Amino acid sequence: MLRASAVAEEAGVPSVSLTCEGFIGQAATTATGLGLPGLPVAIVPGHVDVQTVEELRANVLGVTVDGVVQGLTAAPETASELLEPAPGEIVFEGTPDEVNRFFYENGWSDGLPIVPPTMERVEAFLRQTDRDPDEELGVLLPDRRSATVLSVAVNGVMAGCRPEYMPVLLALIEAMADPRYGVEHSGNTPGAETLIIVNGPIIRRLGFNYQQGALRDGFQANTSVGRFWRLYLRNVAGFLPHRTDKGTFGNTWRVVLAENEEALRQMGWTTIAQDQGLAAGADAVTISRFTGGTVLASVFGTRPEEMIPYLADGIARMVAWEVIFTVGMSVGAQRPLLVLSPILAQTLARAGLSKQEVQRRLFEHARIPARQFERYAGGWTNLLPGRPTLGDLVKRGRAAPVFAESDDPDRLVPVVEKPEDIMIAVSGDPLRTNAYVFAHNGILGYTTTKPIRPPAR
Amino acid sequence: MEALWVVLPTGQRASGEWIDDTLRRRVEERGLSVRTPLVGRFPRHRVEVVRATDPVEEVNALFAARGWTDGLPITPPTLSRVEAMCAVTTRQPSEVLGEVEPLRGEASIEKVAANAVMAGCAPEHFVVVLAAVEAVLDPAFNMRGVQTTDENVAPLVIVSGPLAARLGINAGFGALGPGWRANAAIGRALRLTMLNLGGGWPGAVSLAGLGQPARYTLCLAEREDSPWPPLHVELGHRAEQSTVTVLRAETVINVTGGLAEVASVMASAASAFTMLYEGRVAVVVAPFVARRLAAEGRSKDDVKRWLHAEARVPRAAWTSWWLKATARQWPPWITEAGEALPVVKEPEDITIVVAGANLAIPQLAYFPSWGFPPCRITRVIG
Repeated sequence: MLRASAVAEEAGVPSVSLTCEGFIGQAATTATGLGLPGLPVAIVPGHVDVQTVEELRANVLGVTVDGVVQGLTAAPETASELLEPAPGEIVFEGTPDEVNRFFYENGWSDGLPIVPPTMERVEAFLRQTDRDPDEELGVLLPDRRSATVLSVAVNGVMAGCRPEYMPVLLALIEAMADPRYGVEHSGNTPGAETLIIVNGPIIRRLGFNYQQGALRDGFQANTSVGRFWRLYLRNVAGFLPHRTDKGTFGNTWRVVLAENEEALRQMGWTTIAQDQGLAAGADAVTISRFTGGTVLASVFGTRPEEMIPYLADGIARMVAWEVIFTVGMSVGAQRPLLVLSPILAQTLARAGLSKQEVQRRLFEHARIPARQFERYAGGWTNLLPGRPTLGDLVKRGRAAPVFAESDDPDRLVPVVEKPEDIMIAVSGDPLRTNAYVFAHNGILGYTTTKPIRPPAR
Repeated sequence: MEALWVVLPTGQRASGEWIDDTLRRRVEERGLSVRTPLVGRFPRHRVEVVRATDPVEEVNALFAARGWTDGLPITPPTLSRVEAMCAVTTRQPSEVLGEVEPLRGEASIEKVAANAVMAGCAPEHFVVVLAAVEAVLDPAFNMRGVQTTDENVAPLVIVSGPLAARLGINAGFGALGPGWRANAAIGRALRLTMLNLGGGWPGAVSLAGLGQPARYTLCLAEREDSPWPPLHVELGHRAEQSTVTVLRAETVINVTGGLAEVASVMASAASAFTMLYEGRVAVVVAPFVARRLAAEGRSKDDVKRWLHAEARVPRAAWTSWWLKATARQWPPWITEAGEALPVVKEPEDITIVVAGANLAIPQLAYFPSWGFPPCRITRVIG
């Protein structure tokens, strides 16, 4: 009966279950298992099997009817409580080796040793911010757990961060909790991984590497902040492989990318943070989820005309099935990232190109045949079911007009909607002529920027 | 102080809730705290570290007080023991076989392994435990009904095929116990899984009025020297395969005599729920009796047909039963049967198992059933 009630309640139809007194506990148990712990129950006193008709009538009119009315006029609660260690509770005492084993066995670490988050270490992080430890930065799916300043500090300690990184970590979790980013998609099967880009004077102040080996481990700020991101996804959002994280292959967390802001300033180019709307000189983090990347080695030439085709080709090659974020699923949400080494950016700048002009030229060149675009979206894949043509999608308002300027299947179409969708960062070995391209996961990890608040006085 | 790193054997739902929080409320309402004073009081982790001068004793005391045992001492489900158990299957420890009703703890391979360790299983027994757990998670088993009913039903686990002998699952002397680790531990692992992942705690969730010893364990194997084709072959599996078959047994009734005596026990009020719910029953036949029947040229099917024909309840007796007066809806094959009512709908509803000592004594057993729907669930082991 309770199952029927549960189905009815889920369909929006009020219900109440008549239950003999002796079965009340059982009813409550069943209701909890059905996910509706407050499923209404009306008590029939005693047991109907041993009551005369007169007794039963008296019991029903005297007690049960009130329960029926009450049950039919109230919505059952669905909230469930998750009893977890309280914030600040000591969960374990032991040697550092034991702490590591305990955290690993309970699924709280990524498999590498963690720094035990002792009270002293956590407090050192908390001293770097004026914010209250209990302040909620957001609520994160899938575990619906509250993201607090305290849990940022705890995971920062574990990841191997220094206390002075705390303002960066807080900005990152504000970005993670921003609905535009879409953290709830972090366990999807293509298993894309987030890249964090840092801007502002904080790069130099905290010692982020932005020169040779910019995406390589070996620099505490870049490495530990990247690791923090993944630990927070695990421990607070609740993304666990074999459980809530369904990434087919996944990817290691990415080392933080810091831009070479001196080079950008000299060229008069904007930073990623500025492109995202922040003022020049602001400290900021930008997060974006990328499906994968590749290096464009040995970019050869002295003029933009020689360089742009190769760079654009790299973007066009990387954005394959990911065109479903350009049209169809989430129109105009594909934002590939091109990282230029300073010497490549300077060569383009010397030719008089602003970053925006480079974006425009890349947009013109990063094109593929419409036939190929359609195969990625709904031929070789079934990502856009029904094999719609780009013409169909434009008619339905699911693609920009640029994708259907003719119906020639061999016409060239862009892989992003607008020039500014191609993000350009400048970093890496200043004197090497290599670039790097990342394809983007669209709205399932959309580019989100947050300013980094100054640390505590 | 020594430390034991133990995997918590209790159930967690897909939503992350622990079933103990529901159980705590039921225990408090029903005044059952004396049995489980620490219900719901445990660290909400996968693994707990228990430190004590005698940590085995301490784990036993803690688990009993939290309600995680069947009353007997358990083997602490240490990480290394649970990992050794999980290592006999290629399945991921996190793989979930299903939710155990009624409280819906997830039966992950690791959680079942923890309960199998506690029950006393050796790692090689684990494949049988997994097959048995998969069988009882089949909707036809009606786990919710079995766990919450006021009747005393228990799962009957029958192992058939060559693996039974290799694992030392007893089909001979004392097949229904005691004395054989495999029989004792495999059946107990299934019960602990039902208690700890499904929450079928006596008095709190399970309203079985009396319970029964079969609720500790009820697991036997079929003799390989049966004169008839073995159960798993009869059910369509290859001879070299091994299977677990699960029935809902209301109880175990020993019957000394031949088929006539079994028929007379079947045709009694012991079969009342079997008849009401169109149940499937089991009959264990001693090897001595089986050989005699086979020598007379009688097949298993002949035996089933004979029992179906001979085990008949006089309508007058049925009319006088308590259950007849209580339950209104009886199946038409009973209400329309005339004066002699069959106990089961079809001969096929009788499962014949050859087991027991190789003695010249006609020892048989009858397992009436409880509940719906008709249930005889078989899973291939491994």
